[in-house]
Amino acid sequence: MLKFDLKKSAQHKPLFHFQGQVELQGVCAVFGDSGAGKTSFLRVLAGLDNSFCGALEWRGKTWQDNATFIKTEKRHIGMVFQEPRLFPHLDALGNLKLATKKAKNSLYTITELAELLDFEPLINKKIQQLSGGQKQRIAIARAILTGPDLLLMDEPMSSLDQHSRQLLLPFIKKLSKKIPIIYITHSMQEVFYLSQTMILMNQGEIESIGCPQSLFLNLDLSLAKHNHSGLMVNVQAVHWDDEFSVLHGLIDQQAVFVAMEKPLILKDIQIKIESKDVILATQKLEFSSLQNCLRVRIEQIEQLPTSSVLLTLNTGNQKILAKITIKSLNELRLAVGQNVFAYIKAMSISALDS
Amino acid sequence: MLTELDYSAIILTFKLAGLTTLILLIISPPLAWWLARSRFVLRPFIEALVALPLVLPPTVLGFYLLISFSPDNFIGGFWLSLTGDTLAFSFVGLLIASVIYSLPFVVQPLQSAFVNLDKDYLEVAATLGFNPIETFYKVVFPMVLPSFIIAGALGFAHTVGEFGVVLMIGGNIPGETQLLSIALFDHVETLQYQQAHLLSFGLLAFSMTLLVLIYGVLKKRQQRMIHA
Repeated sequence: MLKFDLKKSAQHKPLFHFQGQVELQGVCAVFGDSGAGKTSFLRVLAGLDNSFCGALEWRGKTWQDNATFIKTEKRHIGMVFQEPRLFPHLDALGNLKLATKKAKNSLYTITELAELLDFEPLINKKIQQLSGGQKQRIAIARAILTGPDLLLMDEPMSSLDQHSRQLLLPFIKKLSKKIPIIYITHSMQEVFYLSQTMILMNQGEIESIGCPQSLFLNLDLSLAKHNHSGLMVNVQAVHWDDEFSVLHGLIDQQAVFVAMEKPLILKDIQIKIESKDVILATQKLEFSSLQNCLRVRIEQIEQLPTSSVLLTLNTGNQKILAKITIKSLNELRLAVGQNVFAYIKAMSISALDS
Repeated sequence: MLTELDYSAIILTFKLAGLTTLILLIISPPLAWWLARSRFVLRPFIEALVALPLVLPPTVLGFYLLISFSPDNFIGGFWLSLTGDTLAFSFVGLLIASVIYSLPFVVQPLQSAFVNLDKDYLEVAATLGFNPIETFYKVVFPMVLPSFIIAGALGFAHTVGEFGVVLMIGGNIPGETQLLSIALFDHVETLQYQQAHLLSFGLLAFSMTLLVLIYGVLKKRQQRMIHA
């Protein structure tokens, strides 16, 4: 359990106020706009920022209160920064070895991580010779080698190439079963793929803590107004059609086709369906180019400030959003509880790409 | 050719410069670190004090040191009661003077290396579990090693080349306070130009080699290390 009530003000104006508690299991995503305070939150958890006042408690131990401030090096945390921050005077191996100096019991050895994160050939290279993605993989390995009780990651994927991303995301998910991870991200795909819990940040405060899908569905939160009005759904992969480069999959037992550049190794994929890409029909459309049709039930109709409405549609077990105009709503006479056909204009993904 | 006295002056000079450099490399890193990081109000004052030997005529510094080394004053008196020797016109007196005189040459390269050292690396070190002392030995020192060598070399070279301060407080006692630069001055005074040439050229070649090494190799190396 991580409990926090931390405040920072500048010139009598409150800058940040982080209050809440979260049971850390697996990956806890921290999501929010730029400037919302995500990085500040992570830094104060790490003990790298002592300008906050208030209290912070982790697994019953006080990390910070009016009288106490446990220094970063005593918190047994691992941290991956947005940029790799590898020590330039050492080679890759030197950086990794340095991390093991104070480690109590690391889950992996350097050799194991080199294999898992695919940097074996790079281990004796100078830092200056590595690409951004290669450096970040080594930085992640370095943080893990310290044998941390808690791993903090600040947008570790933001500057990564596709190869590194595909490699790291499943690894991080697996790792989180052993070490709890707090993970800042801008990518909805990453949130839905990795996390069961999400901390939503907005304007320097923690707006809500909960399961990602329920937060994204909650129209009272800041997420709704920020064009996040599309939801992630799980697509179960059935088979790969090489001729047309499409994946045949299932959303709640309903067949869909997902356009992709290359087949995926992953069994299930997460895909974002933009609410503006969903077309509703009360009857099956014929002679159209629309490929994907789902039978859905209208669960909620929400009036938006613009002359449009946002419909929450149930596909069986999952939900998607559709944004249509009030005019269409009235002409089709749509109502809550009604079963309709939802056609999805675009369903293409590049796997875990954001 | 060089006389016995010349050789003893050369040896004494290198002994003084070596000891001075050693002392400076011990006291300068914490001072330079403090100057690079502190936001204390009196920091500019301390910084100016350290830099003073750069701009002050060495004779001024020598004059004040001579006064304070006098047995009538606190420092000189304390030393006399402790050792039974006077500080002025002694090797220890020269050593103290050299340390003060060459201090900015060692502190400044270190200070600039510490200022340029990205705070990000210190944060990483803390997340790896290193306390500040361990961080200094395991991360900061190896990262700014070229600057340490530059600082040591500049301190050494500057001490070898000192003249004004030595003249004021050291006098000209062979084997005790007669340094290379003073011996050279003596040769010129007595019109022994051949020896003067030898000593001068030796000093010139030594200084030039050191500076080429510093600017050609070490500075680039430091740049590469810090800005990866």
